[in-house]
This record gives sequence, C-alpha cells and structure tokens, in this order.
Amino acid sequence: MRKKFVSGVLGIVVALGLGAVIMLIEGFNPITTYSALFSYSLGGFYPLTTTLRNSVPLILTGLSASIAFASGPVNLGQPGQLLIGALFATVGGLYIHLPAPLMIPLLIILAMIGGALWSGIAALMRRFFSMDEFITTLMLNMIADFFTYWAISYPFFDKTAYSPMTPQIDKAGWLPEFGNFNTNILVMVLVFVAVWFIFTRFTAGYEWRLTGQNSIFARLGGCKIDKNYVTVMLLTGALAGLAGGLVVMAGPHRFLKGLGANYAWDGVMIAMVANNDLIGTLLYGLFFSSLQTGAVGMELITAVPSEFIQVLQSVIVLVIVAGRGMLDIVLDKTQIKRKARERTA
Amino acid sequence: METIIEMKDMIKVFPPNVVALDSVSTDFRKGEIHAIVGENGAGKSTLMKVLYGLEPKNGGEILFHGQSVNFKDAGEAIAAGIGMVHQEILLIQEYTIWENIILGIEPVGFLGRINRVQARKNVQAKIDEFKFNLNLDDKIEDISVAARQKVEILKLLYRNVEVLILDEPTAVLTPQEIPQLFSELQRLRDNGKTILFISHHLDEVLALSDRITVMRKGKKIATVEARDTNKEDLAKMMVGRDVLFLSKREAKQPGAVVFAIKALTYIDGNKRKRLDDVNLQVKAGEIVGIAGVEGNGQFELVNSIMGLTRPTSGQILVNGKELIAADILERRKFVSFVSQDRSKMGAAVKASITENVMMTHHRLNKQFTHWKGALLDYRYSRQFTRKIEEQFGVSMGSMDNPFKSLSGGNQQKVILGRELLLDTPFLLLDQPTRGLDVGSIEYVHEIILKMRMQDRAILLISADLEELFRISDHIVVLNRGKIVADLATEKTNLEQVGYLMLEGKDKEDAKEIR
Repeated sequence: MRKKFVSGVLGIVVALGLGAVIMLIEGFNPITTYSALFSYSLGGFYPLTTTLRNSVPLILTGLSASIAFASGPVNLGQPGQLLIGALFATVGGLYIHLPAPLMIPLLIILAMIGGALWSGIAALMRRFFSMDEFITTLMLNMIADFFTYWAISYPFFDKTAYSPMTPQIDKAGWLPEFGNFNTNILVMVLVFVAVWFIFTRFTAGYEWRLTGQNSIFARLGGCKIDKNYVTVMLLTGALAGLAGGLVVMAGPHRFLKGLGANYAWDGVMIAMVANNDLIGTLLYGLFFSSLQTGAVGMELITAVPSEFIQVLQSVIVLVIVAGRGMLDIVLDKTQIKRKARERTA
Repeated sequence: METIIEMKDMIKVFPPNVVALDSVSTDFRKGEIHAIVGENGAGKSTLMKVLYGLEPKNGGEILFHGQSVNFKDAGEAIAAGIGMVHQEILLIQEYTIWENIILGIEPVGFLGRINRVQARKNVQAKIDEFKFNLNLDDKIEDISVAARQKVEILKLLYRNVEVLILDEPTAVLTPQEIPQLFSELQRLRDNGKTILFISHHLDEVLALSDRITVMRKGKKIATVEARDTNKEDLAKMMVGRDVLFLSKREAKQPGAVVFAIKALTYIDGNKRKRLDDVNLQVKAGEIVGIAGVEGNGQFELVNSIMGLTRPTSGQILVNGKELIAADILERRKFVSFVSQDRSKMGAAVKASITENVMMTHHRLNKQFTHWKGALLDYRYSRQFTRKIEEQFGVSMGSMDNPFKSLSGGNQQKVILGRELLLDTPFLLLDQPTRGLDVGSIEYVHEIILKMRMQDRAILLISADLEELFRISDHIVVLNRGKIVADLATEKTNLEQVGYLMLEGKDKEDAKEIR
C-alpha cells in the first residue's frame, strides 16, 4: 500500500517535470502555468468545489472499470452505459413529478437501471452466444451514442432549442447545491463506500476478486462464476449509468448533445493507472479532475492551450504505468547487488 | 582426468532476497558423468542455467578449458561446446527427426535451398556414430517421449558439444525406458563427452554417475565419488538430517465403500474415448493409487469427479449420493481436492495467503460468514489460517503476503490444510507431491497416511510409482482411458505396474505374479 502511494506520487512528480520540459520547449513558463492550473482547481472554495463536482463522473466510471477488470469481465462499455443511464434519468425527470426526497432517489435508481440494462445486454450475449464482452460492450457504445442522439433529436427534443437537447427535468430532480458545492459528490461518496465494502468485505466481492485472479481456482472452490460474471457486469453497468444520471442531475439538468464528453474513457484510463485498486481510483480520479478543472483557468491566465492537459494526462499515465514495473526492477537490482556484495565480502 | 569446467564462487540472487547460489565452487572433468543432486530449490538447476548462459550470474567465475567464459545466451554456450536438454522437450511436432536436428544450421545449396540429401546423410552419420536407435524420417509426434529425448540429445551432439547438461532426464520416462537412456549416456561418456545431470532420484544417481555434487539451500555440501557413497548418506547430505525411506503404512481393515465410480465413459469433442467404462471404488480408510503414463485419462477422470467436464455416461457416488449432475459446490461438500498444479488450479497466487485459505470454506463453513453468508468474517479466517500454520507446520511471513511468497512445500501445506479441514469423507489427490522436495514429500505422505487412519477414503493419482507403492493399499493402472489392472500393492511390483502402464496388459511370462 505504501509502496503504491510512493510510486504514484513519484510518478506524478516526474510527469509534471516532463510536462515542464515540454512547456519550456514550447516557450512557456512552467511555474506560472502550474500555479495557474492548481490555483484554478484547488485554491479556494469555488475552484475546489468545482474540482469535486467534476470528479464524480470520472470516479464512478473509473470504479466501474476497476471492479470489472479486477473481477474478470473486460467491460469497456462505460461510455454507452453512462449515456443510457443519463437518458433514463432524463426521461424519468421529464415525465415523473414527485417531491424531491422521492424524486432524487428515483432518478438515481433509474440511471443505474439504464446502465445495468446496457451492460446486461452484453452479459446476455456472452451467456447465450459466447460473444466476448470486450467486443460487444465496445459495439454497444456506438449504438448508445446514436440511439441517445436520436432520442434527444426527435421524441424528447426541446422544441424551443436550436440544437439537439431535451427540455429541463423537473426541478425536484435537481441535486441540491450549497453555494457551488454540489451534492453529487455526497451521492458518489455514499456509493463508493458501499461498493468498497461489498468488494473487500463481502462474500460476493471476495469471489469476484478471486475469480478475476484465477477463475479456474475460484470455480473449483465452489464459486458460481457464471452467476458472478452477470452480477459484476450489471453492477459495473449500473455504476457507469449512475455517473450519467448524476451528470444530468447536477449539471445542465437536461440531456444535451455531447453530454458524456470523455468522462467514461478517462474513467477507464484512471482504472488502469490505479491498477484496478478502488482507493487508487478515487485518488487518481480527484487528481485528474483537478487537472481538467484547472485547465480552463490555465488557458485564461497563460497562453498555454487547455489541450496541453491532455498531453500532461497521457504523460502521467505512461510514467505511472511504466514506473510501476520500473520501481520493482530497480529495487530488485539494488537488492541483488547488496546480497552479492555480502557474499563476496 | 583433466578438468574441463571450473566454477568458482558462483553467486546468484533472485529478488527480493532468495540467494539461489551462495558462493558455489565446483569442477567437472572431461569424460565423466557428474550428477548434481539436491532438493527442490537447492540451486542445482540454477547452477546449470548460469553455466549455460540462461541466467546471468551475479558473482563468481566460470572457466571452460581454463579460459574465463561468460555466455550471454544458449547459442553462445552451444557454439563453445556446452549443450543442455531441458525437462520439457522443445521440438517441432510436425517435423521429422532430421528436420528438427538440422533446424538452425541447415546445410544449404543454391539460393538457400536446403540440401536434403546432405542433411539426411549428416544426421544418419551421427545416429550411427552414437548407435541411437532412431529412424530419421519419423515425425516427432509419432515417436515416444524417450525417443524425443534422444532427438534432443542428438541435436546437441550434431552441434558437436563436448558437455551435455540434462535437467531431470528421467522425470518423463517410464521405469522400462530408464536403463536404455543410461546405457546411451554411458556410451557417450566412453566417447569422451562430459555429462552433467540433475536429479533427485538417488538410486539413478548412484547407478549412473562417476561423481556426485550435493547441494542444499544454495550451497554446495560436497562432491563425492559415487562408489564411495550410498543412498542414505546422500539423502542425509541433501536434507541435512536422516530421511526414512520405508513405508509407514500400518495394517488396517478398510471400512464401507465411500467413493464409487460406475461405468464412467467420456467421449471428447473429437469423438475420442478419453474414459472407457471406468469402474472404481475406494473404501473408508483406504488409499487407492492410480498409476498411468500422463495423458491416459487421469486429467479427464479428475475433471469428471470435480465437475469441470460432464462425462458422457456413468455414475459418481460418494456415500451413496449421486454426484454426476451436481454442481461443483455440492460436490465440495463430499470431496476435498488437491490439484497437481498449484498455481493454475490450487490457488490464486497473487491473492493473500488468508484469502487462499478461505476458499470453499467461505461457502461451506458457517463460521466464516455472518448475515446468512453475505459478510465475511476476516478475523475468523485469520484464526483459521493461524491454525493451519500451526497444525501443518507452515513457515510463512505474514498471512497477508501473497500466496506466491511461500515456497513450493509451504504452498502445498497450505492447500492440504485448506482441503483436509473441509472434513469431507473423500479426498482426491492429484499428484500431491509434484515438484516438492524430499522433506516435504515425506511430510505430505505422513499427512495422507494420517487421513487414512482417520477413515477417510483417498484416491491418489501419481506419476511417481515409488510414491504409489509407498502409501497406497491398491494400485489401479489406467491405460488409454481404461482400467487395465487393479492390484493389491503387496502382490505386485514396480516392473509389473510399469509394464501395464506402457502396454495396457501383463507381460506373458509375468502372469503368475498376479
């Protein structure tokens, strides 16, 4: 655990250093750039709450990917599941009218059902036609993309709008805000804690993890791996769907074109950087959110374009993922040298 | 005799802190058969790999013909005249013997076309020179394992090596094939080749070698002349204490039939009969051993019992309960299972020791969970792991360490502990001592015999005939998916069982033994 933390922090520092080198080559001042970046994402109440709010879809899709990858199924359908979840919450919010204490949980559950439905299709295709979820979830992303585009252009189109979007959902379905502090973070924390408990303390999570590590061993041990496979697919779909629902309920309160942005793919990337570790997913999610949030401010103050953040993100991913192996190799080498010296001395 | 290889103060460290070779110095002479013996993990394979350039050394010096050498890969070693035959045979199945032998150094003619006539002539000359009984146009897939091993040796001789290293060459052979290999190795020695061979079968070592180097825990204990030593002394040097070689199986009247297989047949997807009308029963307090050359139906039998494959027809009964259609969890209430492959089937090597111990118990043993099985009780699991550690003498650091941090013997103890504490009436043990060192094997046998005294019914599948003879009450021989003999251990012998394994029937003149 401590080694993981050290290698993570070390990786980030090295990556920021490499980022600074790139900036110097491009003729920008790295110190002013980084201070702008982080003061617009961490410096003060407004930046900090914005970072937190933006981290929610990243962390939830990252959690979805982490749990799927650690349990075996290669669910890469987070983008599609997020969109379907968002659509379910939106449609619910347009046609159902209840007081907020009932409305918010209802929309959250609808979003999760939407995501689970989408991943469930892939799970069924695997069960009955042995189709690999690695392919089917990716294909379903395309379908979800165009299906939701159609849905917001025709049946749920806001007649007063100029571009594809739905009308705003019932106000009762809006997540409460305190100043700039959006309660979507509370929903995320609640779900994270619940999922963490299931994954690390419950029988089900134990079976998922061990199946992910060695499915034949788990099967011989009496785990029902087929049933577990379906459960994991549904759960991870629900988490991605929830991410979509919360985006609608916290942000524009409607489904508009491009709503999913890059959240889900960034989530998958975060899961990889965190090596499918849940706490790691949470921390890296917050960090990547701070980069993306600060990018806007950085562009305002300095001449560095906000696209630079994508370069920085890629560098961080490469450094940390590669560094994980490197650190072990370096530690091994020093140990060999020390031992060998002991013997000859 | 002149010294051909000298190894001085060899050091090899495997991270994090395994010292595989701890200042090992030894020498090999020209024209001798030199055995390197030691338990698993003693460093004998590592020593050879370092010599052969497969593992870089971390210290020390290797002299070959008095010159300091440092091979970077196997190719350099072979070019210099040192070749190694590995345990797994690495030949191309679809190619003929001569094609395999010339692979990499083909005699070529115009435009790189292989000169077949020349190649076959060269290979035949080598076969004749060393009097190997091989037909150079046979395909590898059609010849026996022993013949494949010969091809491997011939391949190196064709490259004119002076020193041959063999890594446990007899492990893949049947008892009948071993003397032939030995006489061939002796002929090679008499032709001036140096042979280094790794083994932990002491009888073989004593029968074959001129000198013996004993290793233990990365250190060289001694190099002795084979004629000046005996099995007990070697075993003592290997293990560091006296080892018992006698069966400790006490006389015992078996109880009622616990496990029974009736007319079990399995036909695979290619319409091949893998199991052919197998009938078998094991009584309480009885060990039934299954002998057979690997690939004669053992795998399918184990998978059928465990529920990994669905047999075509037949019955599997434990205490009268039909399990043929039961799911795996249901079977596990009656069957404890130790698989032959610890890392593939017996454990999740990256998960912690505790998590490996919990498997199956978490479903069958109520004390491991709360809330009707939903929540795991990690505290109880840790106590349980502690219990296995004490009861089975496992040496482990922290029980939160990954399973793979344990040595092979300790891994097997943990697996045995987990399975035996399931308290099932029937134990299925598939090569439970595979890859273990002498001390651990002895311990595992002790536990199995203890389970026998506790009236468990035990089915033991083993490739090691000595093991079967040492602990089982009955030996059943499996050949091409069929049970060809069911013999009381006291009324048979190694030779008979070995012949049955190979031929599927008794030798004509051996009939009266039965």
